[in-house]
Amino acid sequence: MTRAIVLHPNDNVATLIDEAAKGVSAELRGERTGAVELRADIPYGHKCAVIALSSGDDILKYGQVIGRATADIAIGDHVHTHNVEALRARGDR
Amino acid sequence: MSFLGYERPDGQVGLRNHVGVISVMDNCNPVTRAVANAVEGALPVTTLFVRGQLGRDLDIAYDTLAGLARNPNIAAIVLIGLEPVTTEEVASRIRSCGKPLEIVNIQLVGGTIEATALGVRHAARLMREASRQKRTNQPLTKLTIGVECGGSDTTSGLASNPSIGFAADQVVAGGGKVVISETSEFFGAEHLFAERAETEAVGQQFLDAVLGFEEEVMARGLDLRGANPSKDNIRGGLTTIEEKALGAMSKAGTSPLVGVLKYGEAPMKAGLHFMATPAPAVESLTGLAAGGCQLILFSTGVGNPIGSVVATTLKVSGNRNTVATFSDNIDFDVSDVIENGSPIREAGGRLFDFTLEVASGALTSSEVLDVRETAISRFEPSM
Repeated sequence: MTRAIVLHPNDNVATLIDEAAKGVSAELRGERTGAVELRADIPYGHKCAVIALSSGDDILKYGQVIGRATADIAIGDHVHTHNVEALRARGDR
Repeated sequence: MSFLGYERPDGQVGLRNHVGVISVMDNCNPVTRAVANAVEGALPVTTLFVRGQLGRDLDIAYDTLAGLARNPNIAAIVLIGLEPVTTEEVASRIRSCGKPLEIVNIQLVGGTIEATALGVRHAARLMREASRQKRTNQPLTKLTIGVECGGSDTTSGLASNPSIGFAADQVVAGGGKVVISETSEFFGAEHLFAERAETEAVGQQFLDAVLGFEEEVMARGLDLRGANPSKDNIRGGLTTIEEKALGAMSKAGTSPLVGVLKYGEAPMKAGLHFMATPAPAVESLTGLAAGGCQLILFSTGVGNPIGSVVATTLKVSGNRNTVATFSDNIDFDVSDVIENGSPIREAGGRLFDFTLEVASGALTSSEVLDVRETAISRFEPSM
């Protein structure tokens, strides 16, 4: 079984607590129920989207903003540095 | 709730009973190491730089070295200096704690061999005297713990940090002190932490420390991405500093923030404090130990082995893979929080019980393997 934890009702990502292969169904725990079909291999501890997001949307975990989507993200996509950017301490912008 | 500790002349209580052999500057380190190696129970507290440091940096260096010497885990001190004027700068900041203090100046005694011999004689005598002390029953009001994370991943925010937070709440409930540090690891969580301040002034002081530091980073055109989260944090699933910060904050538990401390500064009242330190573990641990933390609860996800030389460091992990593959460096396993959904109060309660056991003398991996280091933060150039 592949498990993913949602920490807050407003969150749009879940944290995988099992290593997951593309195509498997991750069972949601915590603040959301149901399952998400994963669209990529996702390592232990990494995140998947539980809601479809557009580029520029806030990423919510713990019910708080943890960054912004830099691309459109589908339900079940791996959510990490390739499609999310931090907004804080960005003296480069 | 109580623990067994060694009472010091200033009323503080040690969890350990070491002679601290302390360098005044980097060129004294070889003697410091030789003396500590020769004497059972002596700890080498080395440092880099000091000579040629300026202004605020020099004050931080002197104050932090003295703070490490005053830490109650140190029963007595042998200060290894080069020449008497600089040595006195550190010694004068130590004396008020009333612990035995011996001074060796390498230039005055005739070089490294003579300095080592004299240092060993001092340390050996002080160690034999210290060993006659017995642990006595002590209330939690005598406990100051630091909370730290390093080699973090997403399991840190789910399991090990909240478990440490639960233990931290028990220390505060018992009238003890807790210190959380690592300024940049509040970027994205500072608004939530500031809300918990006991007074508006304390909340503002905390926000000034965090946001002021962020402004400094921004003003220099730096991008924190790539430095924090670090490459291993990213491998462990942490995507942004905001995500890391929200997970890191849970180490502080739920009690109100009562004070904001400078690097290496000691908390003066009971309750939860924030100390402004850089994020890397050794610098942060050194600041916490200089501020009088006798014990540091250190959460790790992907694995960070290091501990403080002076403050007993207890490693906690909730990552089932790290607990299995990095077990030599892990003292406490809370992976059942994630694996079986064990409540935080259960894992945190077990951790608190173990913390008191370690406080009373049970050794940690960092102590047994001597995986310990000292680094005092510096912010300016040398002359």
